[in-house]
This record gives sequence, structure tokens and C-alpha cells, in this order.
Amino acid sequence: MNSRRTNQKSRIKPPKKSNAADSQFNDNWERLAQAIREIHKKNASILSFEELYRNAYNMVLHKNGDKLYEGVKRVITQHLEEVAVAQIVPNFPLSGASSSSQTNPVNGVGGANFLKVLKNVWEDHITCMLMIRDILMYMDRVYAKSANVPPVYDLGLELFRDTIVRSQKYPIQIHLLDVLLQQILLERENEIIDRSSVKASMDMLLELVDASTRETVYSIDFEGRFLETSAEYYRVEGQMLVGECDAPEYMKKVEKRLIEEEQRVRHYLSQSTEQKIRSIVEEELISKHLKTVIDMENSGLIPMLRNEKMDDLARMYKLFGRVSQGHEEMKSAISNYIRELGKAINETVSSGSNNNISTTSTDGGGGDKSQTGTSVAIRWVQEVLDLKDKFDKVQSLALSNDKSFQTAFNEAFEYFINKNPKSPEFISLFIDDNLKKGLKGKTEEEVDSVLDKTITLFRFISEKDVFERYYKQHLAKRLLLGRSVSDDAERGMIGKLKIECGYQFTSKLEGMFNDMRISTDTMSDFKEYLDKSVLERPKLDLNVTVLTSTFWPMNMPASPRCNFPAEITRACEAFQRFYLGRHSGRRLTWQSNMGTADIRANFNSKKHEINVSTYQMVILLMFNDVPPGKDLSYETIKGESDIPEVDLKRNLQSLACAKYKILLKEPKGREINAGDKFYFNEDFTAPYQRIKIQTVASKVETEGERKDTREKVEEARKHQTEAAIVRIMKDRKTMEHNLLISETTRQLQPRFTPNPAMIKKRIEALIEREYLERAPGDRRVYNYLA
Amino acid sequence: MSNTSKKKEKYSPADYVKLISSDGFEFIILRNAAIISGTIRNMLSSGQFIESKLNQIHFRDINAVLLEKVCQYLYYKHRYTNSTTEIPPHNIDPALALELVVVADFLDC
Repeated sequence: MNSRRTNQKSRIKPPKKSNAADSQFNDNWERLAQAIREIHKKNASILSFEELYRNAYNMVLHKNGDKLYEGVKRVITQHLEEVAVAQIVPNFPLSGASSSSQTNPVNGVGGANFLKVLKNVWEDHITCMLMIRDILMYMDRVYAKSANVPPVYDLGLELFRDTIVRSQKYPIQIHLLDVLLQQILLERENEIIDRSSVKASMDMLLELVDASTRETVYSIDFEGRFLETSAEYYRVEGQMLVGECDAPEYMKKVEKRLIEEEQRVRHYLSQSTEQKIRSIVEEELISKHLKTVIDMENSGLIPMLRNEKMDDLARMYKLFGRVSQGHEEMKSAISNYIRELGKAINETVSSGSNNNISTTSTDGGGGDKSQTGTSVAIRWVQEVLDLKDKFDKVQSLALSNDKSFQTAFNEAFEYFINKNPKSPEFISLFIDDNLKKGLKGKTEEEVDSVLDKTITLFRFISEKDVFERYYKQHLAKRLLLGRSVSDDAERGMIGKLKIECGYQFTSKLEGMFNDMRISTDTMSDFKEYLDKSVLERPKLDLNVTVLTSTFWPMNMPASPRCNFPAEITRACEAFQRFYLGRHSGRRLTWQSNMGTADIRANFNSKKHEINVSTYQMVILLMFNDVPPGKDLSYETIKGESDIPEVDLKRNLQSLACAKYKILLKEPKGREINAGDKFYFNEDFTAPYQRIKIQTVASKVETEGERKDTREKVEEARKHQTEAAIVRIMKDRKTMEHNLLISETTRQLQPRFTPNPAMIKKRIEALIEREYLERAPGDRRVYNYLA
Repeated sequence: MSNTSKKKEKYSPADYVKLISSDGFEFIILRNAAIISGTIRNMLSSGQFIESKLNQIHFRDINAVLLEKVCQYLYYKHRYTNSTTEIPPHNIDPALALELVVVADFLDC
């Protein structure tokens, strides 16, 4: 017990020592200061950590923390100032501080040396500060925290910052920054620099923290100036390069610069600078010269496209994607280019067809005319397809299939394709041509791929109903004249259209196919029927195709009639009896302008089988009753056959003025006029046994026909618009005017683009017919009348 | 398995450090236990001070009684830190308590 008490008392003794410690302080401090100096001299190995720690411990314990702290600060500052004078100042780079923009190699070496010295000073300082921190740990732990001063290591950094890096006495800071910027400049000029010492300096600057802003000295002192000089550097370089290089070279250089700067940041700058320097390079080298580079003559975007420089295009896409307006500029440049090319294509075609019209009026060759007319259309489509191919290639090879570019391209295509009012007709003609000749020389796959591409063009057409009309006409001719090469190909095409536009669009086309099939069956039945009833058997083979009038593009009731020779009339009547006997309540109308006939003709040299149109057959058969050498006048033919004048002229033309002159005309000439006389050409010769008289094949329409088609289309549109309005109103019952217009437009969009005035007219028409009424209260609202 | 455990048991002299009390007693303890004290760790690792060169520390203010208790505590802590077994109490003579508090502050442990 006793001993414990004395023990406890003696425990309380240590604090009492403190009274005496005051006098000891100076003594202890002197030893500690000396020790710190030894540490700075790298002589730590003769020092006892325990002693130093104990000294510092005692000082703090005896409330002398502030004196110790200040003392340490003094000693370190003093040391750093000595270092500055002894090591740093003598190593300032030779040439003046502000001439950093000049690249002289001595300066570069001096600068590198300066950085090395600074690096050593910094590293030494850090090592020493770590040791000082350790022996003064107790001070950090107890005094610094309570006195609210930075721990000794941070103090060391601050002192270094203020005595060395931002020294008031020596221009160290200016030199340091200049040297750093100059080293970077040298590296930009492809010189090799000592990256490690630059990095050491950067690390140092990053380590040091500004007193007031708490940001690194790097970002305050260095980064701003770095970015400034970089911007200036690249501004100059950008202007210079734009003047010197062509576009691909320029972009290569820019690309290289971007990579360089990125590497620079990675190697010795702060990661935080990366984004900033990148945006500076992008701004100075890309944004500012966007247009210049795109528009460069002979090497800009357009020449790249023209010469299909995919690598350069890809590079441009990648580079320009970095800046906000880059892709927009590219897009608009490319789509302008597409429009230009498209315009050129349109122009060659329209000038071509103009020429065509003028030549036909002089030479009047029906066959020639349809050939060139069609070939213009085909050339147009082919050129558009080639253009599309080209840009598809660009899109996939150079633009990484960027959707927004695709959209821009499509818009451009749509624009110029719809600029050509004949595009629906041309595309249909192109398809017609492929389906007619398709398999000659082309494999099925090739035809298929061509048609697939054509479908993409079809997508661009805004007047799909016009296309439908032409397609129907062309399809009808292919089917009736047996020109279609492959049924599968036809069906394939219709399938494609169906995918694009839905069932409604193709139902009539499919109906046409059905008619063809049913007709084949009907014909075999008809033959059987004839076989059974021997009496009625006509002397010729009649082949009838029964068409459902709503599916086919012919205008049934108005279709021209003509007087058939008696034999043919009998055959027709036989069929009519047969057919009506099977289907009561139907009406048959003969489409004499659509048929063909095979006739055998005896000429002086030999016999020929001639394939002619129905009208031509009628004309030729008349000559059977004419003695050799006698003529038939135009008026006689017209009167007897009753063929409509336009058709008659055309058919006579193909018989008398075209390649095969079955008839001779008096007077000679290309045009058929009233009063002309025709003779049967008995001396006719031809290299083939079977010959075909070119008839009205599908071809580009004449102006008159076009107007006609237009009118029909307009008429059809009226009905479609009304149908759409009624559909909508039936559903909604009441609707506001503008909403109704926009909804109607939306519904009709896949087929054509209606204009609001037209819709308005249709609404009025529907009101008149009491499908709709204006709401009593509000004139802008319509009600549906059931 | 016995191999690894044996290896663990076998320590070379470099794994030990000598602590000398103010009255001249020497305690040779595992280095890993010793450096549980922040002060000792700094003494042995910071720069090239004499302590790290000789691998021994002379505490001029700590007597043998206290230093022994410190060593016991360091081993105790070394043994039971992150241990899953139940931790036995570590008894301290109340007579030493006050002085030990001071020493612990000095040694940062």
C-alpha cells in the first residue's frame, strides 16, 4: 500500500520537471536545429532519432510547441534560401527570361539543366521534409492540430512554394515557367527533350498548393499560361497549314497533333489538362478551319467524294466529329453535293428527252422513239442508283454507318428525285425494263439486287400513287403482251412493294396476276368446249384474256372499238357465248388496242410469220381483198376498220415507215396524212422467218399523255382524300379543322403529299354531300353525320 | 502445411529489433510487434538515422519496468489484432498506469 502511494506520487512528478525545462529549451532547440541542418546536409546517420524525437516531445509537452514550430520554419526557410542562391540562381538558363518563343538550342540545353537542378533540389527537400516530419511527429500530432497550423510536412511544401517556386527575391518562377513552356515548344518542334525532368517539375507544381485558393500551383501558375501559349501556337500553325497543305495532309497533321498533345498530357502533365488542351487544339485546328478544309479546291470534301478517298473521308469524319459543328458542316456539304449531282442527272435527262421529242417530230419513227425515251429513263435510274451506291459505300466505309449522315443523304436524294417530275414513271420504266429483259444476260440474283436497289429509290418518291399508276400500266403491258420474262420475278417485285406500302397498294396488282391465271384456265376450258361442238369451230386460234376492269389501268367503257373481219368476229362471238354461259351477269368488252396476232404472209421471195398488233392485223387483212399492185387510201382504211385516228396513224407508221416495211406508202415520208395511198409490199424481205412489228411498247409518255395521267391521278387522289377524311371522322365523330387536316395528311403521306387547300376542298365537298357538318357553335369544328 | 507453419515460426535476426531501457536493460522483440508503435516505426524506417542503422533504439526516458510492460502490450496487440479467437484481458498494474499513459503517448501506440 505504502509503496503504491509513493509510486503514485512520483508519477505526478514529471509535469513538475517542466518548470525547469524552460531554461533547457534554448539548449534543446539549438541541438534540434543543428540536427535539422545535418539532415539537410544528408548526415542523418549520425543522429539519434530517439533523442530528437524526445527533445521535440519535451518541448511540445512543456508548452513550447509554438517556439519549436517557428524555429523549424526559420531553419527550413533559411536552408531553402541558401539553396536558391547556391544552386538555382547560378543555373538560370542563359538567354533572357521573356524570349521563350525563340528556339535556340543553347537555351534548350540550359533550360533542361535548370530543370534538372530544380528537380534535385525538390527531391532533396522532400526527403528531408519526410525525415523532419518523422522526428517532429509528436509536434504534428499534438501541437499543430491544436494550434491550427499545417503539419510540418505541409509547412515544408508551403515554404518551398514561397521561397523557391514563387520566390520574391529571385525570378525563379519566371524562369521555371518559361523553361517548361519552352521545353514543350521544343518538343512540338520535334526536338527530343528530357521528359523526366519536365515531369518532375510538373509533379512538383502539382504537389504545391496555393495558399488562398487551395488549388495546385500547377493549375494557377502553369496551366493558364500553357493553354494560352498553346492556343497561340496552334492559331499560327493552323493558319500556316491551311495555306500550305491540301486537305488530307492537313487532317493528317491535325490528327498527329492531337495524338501528340494527348501523349504529352499522359507523360508529364496533369490529367486535368487533357480535356482543356484537346479543346484548344480542336478549336484552333478544326473548328476555325472547318469550312476552309471542307471547301478546299482539288482536295476538300467534294474532291474526296469524287475520287472516293475513303481513308481521308474517314479521317475527316473522325476529326470533325470532335467539334460541335463539324459533322453538321460535313453533312450539309455532302448533301449539297448530292443535290448538285442529282440536279446534273436530272438535267441530262430532261435535255435528253427534249432532244428526243424534237427528233421524233421530224423523223416520226415510232420504234426509235420508244427506244430512246425508255433509255433516257433507264439511264436516269441507273445514274441515280450508281450515285446511291457510291454514297452507300462512303457511308459504310468512311462514316461508320452514322445514322444522322444516312438521314441527311436520304433527304438529299429525296429532294432531287422528287425534283424530277418524271421520277415515278422512270423508276417504273426501269423496273419494266429489268423485268422484260431481266434474264437475258443477267442472273436472277443480279436482277433481284437491282430491283432491291430500285426499291430504295422508290422509297424516296413522295408521289407513290403516281408510281403505282405507271407501274400498273407497265405491268399490264408486260402481262398482256407476254413480255414478262419471269413470273417469279414479277411476284417478287410485287412482294417488295407490298413490304414497302402494304396490302392496299398491291392488291390490284395481285388482282391482275389472278386474272392472268384464271384466263389461262378459261382458255383451256374454251378449247375443250370448241372440241365438243365441232360446228362452231372457227378457223383461227383465239386466245382471250379476261380482265377485271377495276384491277387494270384501261378505261373500259371508253375503249376504242374497231371492225374486225368477219372470221374474227365469229370467233369472238363463240367465246362470248361460252364465257357468258359460265358466268351470268357479266359484261365483256373487247380491248382491241391491247391484243396481238400472229399472221402468215406470202411475199414474192418467201413466207414470213409476222407478229403484229390487233389493229395492224385488221389493216393487213384488208389487203387480202386487194388485187396486187392496187392501193388502199388512208380514208378507205379508216372507214372500213373504224380504228381511232391516233392509233391508226401509229400502226400505219409502224407498218409502212419503220424497220420492216410490209406496206409501201405513196407519197413517201415519215408522216401519215390524209390522202396517202398504201400498197402491199410484195418484194418484202427479211433475214428471219419470224418477224415482229414493233408496236406501242411502254415508253416515256408524251406531254399529252402525261397531262392525262396527271388528271387521272388527281381524280384518284380526290377519292383517297375523301375516304381518309371519312375514315377519320367516323372514328372521332367531331374534330377541329387543323387537327383533321394534319391527321389526313399523315394518313395519306405514304402515298402522296396532299396539300391543305386540296383537303379543304374535299371537306367542303363532303359537307355538301352531308357526310359532315360544321359544329353549330364553332365554325372551326366538324361533326360526322352518320 | 507443416512446412509453412515452420517457416512462420522461424525468424531471422533481421526480424527482431533491440529496445534498450534508460537503465540499460535490453529487450529483443519482433520487429513486426515493435512497429505497432508509430514512434518506433518512424525511428526504424525514416531516412538513415542511427537507430535504423544499428537496428536498436535506446529510450533514455523509459525504464526497464515500463519498457517491459510496453513490450508485453506490443506482443499482446500483435497477437490479437485481427484475431478470431477470444481476446483475453490485458492486465496493468494500477501503480504503473499513469506512467504508462505518458509512455504510450510518447510512443504513439
